[in-house]
Amino acid sequence: MNESSAVVRVRGLVKEHGQGESRVRAVDEVDLEVPEGQMLAVMGPSGCGKSTLLHLLGGLERPTRGEVWLAGQRIDTLGERALARMRRRSVGFVFQAFHLVEELSAAENVELPALLAGRSLREARRRAGVLLERVGLAGRARHLPSELSGGQRQRVAIARALANQPLVVLADEPTGNLDSAATLDVLRIFEELRSAGQTLVIVTHDERVAATSDRLVSMRDGMFVDDTRLAGSHPRGLGGLIGLEG
Amino acid sequence: MGSLVLVVRLVLADVRRHRAQAAMLLLAVTIATATLALGLSLSGASRTLYEQTRAATAGPDVVALSGDTSPAVTSALSELAEAPEVAGHHGPYRIVYADLTTRGSVTSPVVVHGFAEKPGALNRPLVTSGQWVRSGGAVLERGFATALGVGVGDQVTIAGRPYPVVGIAVTAATSIYPWAAQIGPGGGPSDYTGLAWMTRQDARTLASSQDRPVTTAVDLKLRDPAATEAFREAHRDSDVRINFHSWQLNAEQDTVILRGTQPILVLGSWLLSFLAVTGVAALAAGRAVQQTRRAGLLKAVGATPGLIGAVLLTEYLAVALLADVLGLVIARLTVPVVASPTASRIGDIGGPSGPVIAATTLLAVAVAVLSALRPTLRALRTATVTALADTAHRPRRRPWLAALSALLPTPFLLGLRLTARRPGRAALQACSTATTLIALTGLLSLSAQPSRGYGLNGSSALPNLRDENAGHLLIAVSALLIALAVVNTITFTWTTAMEARTSMAIARALGATPGQVSAGLSIAQLLPCLPGTVIGVPLGIGVFSAFSARNAVLAPFSTMFIAALATLLVTVALTALPARLAARRSVAQALSAEAA
Repeated sequence: MNESSAVVRVRGLVKEHGQGESRVRAVDEVDLEVPEGQMLAVMGPSGCGKSTLLHLLGGLERPTRGEVWLAGQRIDTLGERALARMRRRSVGFVFQAFHLVEELSAAENVELPALLAGRSLREARRRAGVLLERVGLAGRARHLPSELSGGQRQRVAIARALANQPLVVLADEPTGNLDSAATLDVLRIFEELRSAGQTLVIVTHDERVAATSDRLVSMRDGMFVDDTRLAGSHPRGLGGLIGLEG
Repeated sequence: MGSLVLVVRLVLADVRRHRAQAAMLLLAVTIATATLALGLSLSGASRTLYEQTRAATAGPDVVALSGDTSPAVTSALSELAEAPEVAGHHGPYRIVYADLTTRGSVTSPVVVHGFAEKPGALNRPLVTSGQWVRSGGAVLERGFATALGVGVGDQVTIAGRPYPVVGIAVTAATSIYPWAAQIGPGGGPSDYTGLAWMTRQDARTLASSQDRPVTTAVDLKLRDPAATEAFREAHRDSDVRINFHSWQLNAEQDTVILRGTQPILVLGSWLLSFLAVTGVAALAAGRAVQQTRRAGLLKAVGATPGLIGAVLLTEYLAVALLADVLGLVIARLTVPVVASPTASRIGDIGGPSGPVIAATTLLAVAVAVLSALRPTLRALRTATVTALADTAHRPRRRPWLAALSALLPTPFLLGLRLTARRPGRAALQACSTATTLIALTGLLSLSAQPSRGYGLNGSSALPNLRDENAGHLLIAVSALLIALAVVNTITFTWTTAMEARTSMAIARALGATPGQVSAGLSIAQLLPCLPGTVIGVPLGIGVFSAFSARNAVLAPFSTMFIAALATLLVTVALTALPARLAARRSVAQALSAEAA
């Protein structure tokens, strides 16, 4: 693989938590490259280091050792300010717990990253409108997160992650809190994003989610134990994949 | 019994885990109760000291004075001494008006009482150091001597003649320094004056040598000491003009020196209590979620609502009552200094009275209950399962504010939205700032007052003890108010940061820099301070005007403006550190904790 085309690249990545005898290695000597447009699923049991890896890729945590490159720029050596700018410009996060701002409407939540990036309110609103339409929530733009279902909240979170047209979307168990129908909605959106060339890294322990990706990496005890290329979209379609179609 | 032990155990465990909060409650309530106890004890203390001095010096019930110089004066005063209501008398004796100068060239008006070398049964000044008058020597009243900085063995010049100071004494026949001259020359008004005693011969010589103005006085002991007013009414139609000074009048005059002090202390204690409530309530609110979960846990294992309420409230009540005791002890130790700034009185003030203890205890309980009631009720009312899974309560949506903040730069956007999340706390912060400004406005205005010194012709060579005493107390109370306001500001910032940690972590994950988050937290504290400042200055002017003399002047508005500006700048500085620390917390940890 051509290194220059890799949106995400990590070398010898190590992350340790705690000190002394209670020290735990959450990520252990991981190497990874994610080319542009690839949808990568990272699977593994709870506590294997998937989420920590995602936080390291997005600059939310600093590695104990190793290198993290994003779009050709090494980010593990950046200061907090520069990391924040990098996240604003290049990364979109989707969390299992949605992490929407409860007192803001769906549209205002989606506007937030654009406003933080210094865009005008008008531009932020326009972009939020487009994104909410794309995730099928144009009619719910003025609703508060508490007035939305879990699946709708996650769709708002995905729209928010796309607000600044990031190079990569990092999703941490995006369907972990959703029922099957909502999972289907989210997977459809990810499928559309993949088709549109959006680079995605999805951490999950749900095989149905992994099956929709281009590549599957399995993790155990902080290490990669398997790296499989997949065909991408499931031949039976997403509904069949998650058991909603016969 | 078992429940009691359980409550004590749980309370102690919680206090151990939250020492900073307990310390803050203890400090705030101690300051408030000490100030209140001090303020309420003053008038009683002044009276107590007067009565003890009166008992120790055989103080007269009435002093009859006449500034007339006619030969009939002595016989008129002697006639009073023979009145049937009178049980004993001292005098008539001569009171000479003169100037006294110390070696340090400090000059003050003085009245010299001509007394026998062997004191009689009535009006026996108590010598506290040195000895009683002897020929050629002067005894100075203790409050006067203290103000002059003169002791036994020093030399003073009275009406141009040198006298060694042979003794220092106190008396209840006159009011405290500087009101020793009950009437001025010729029965007219008197200036701030000290008191000295000489032998009768020396006083006569002093009066005649320079033709000094003289008043003649007689001390009277009545058969009914309380009937001074009736005695005055019965003997007012004399041929010579006679002024009657009762012991009650002297006792009342003693309190004049505290007239500016008491409002400062009592009003100060209410403001301090208010700040205590705001600060502790903010801390309690910050722990509300945790308390609710704790209540849920207790409910789950079978605790009754009564027991849970007792556990949650007892902690605050116990600390507040301990602080009440500390405050009363501090007041007990400081009352002598504050209540007797002149050293003209002797005696022991004793402990705080029952009503004072009741008032401070009420205050302490009120602070504890007001601070803890809301989170306690919330914890009690929440269903067990909900309580166990309780998270910070969802802020109300304010669409206009979200829209307005979207137009602002990122730190203001974050700051405004943070302020809007907790409007109650913003109001408390505004009130806290207003309280600070009230204190500052009072302090600045007091320092702008023209003060007439106790020296000759109002010279400030001898400071005005009344103004000085009030000024010192205002500075002390203002310093305490500002200290509590500072602690509150830091508490508000930290509590806001902790409650908003998920929101701020989301903002950080979406690209807000630590600097922007830190500035947002500071701005969230600064925004409520603006109305607080705007309200505080006029309120301070109002409070100062209400409790000061009619001719009091206000500090220049430019000074008040600078004080308001300085308050805002200090707020920004105070919030910077906690905001910075909060903004640097791990985003991943904050988000993971919320998701857990």
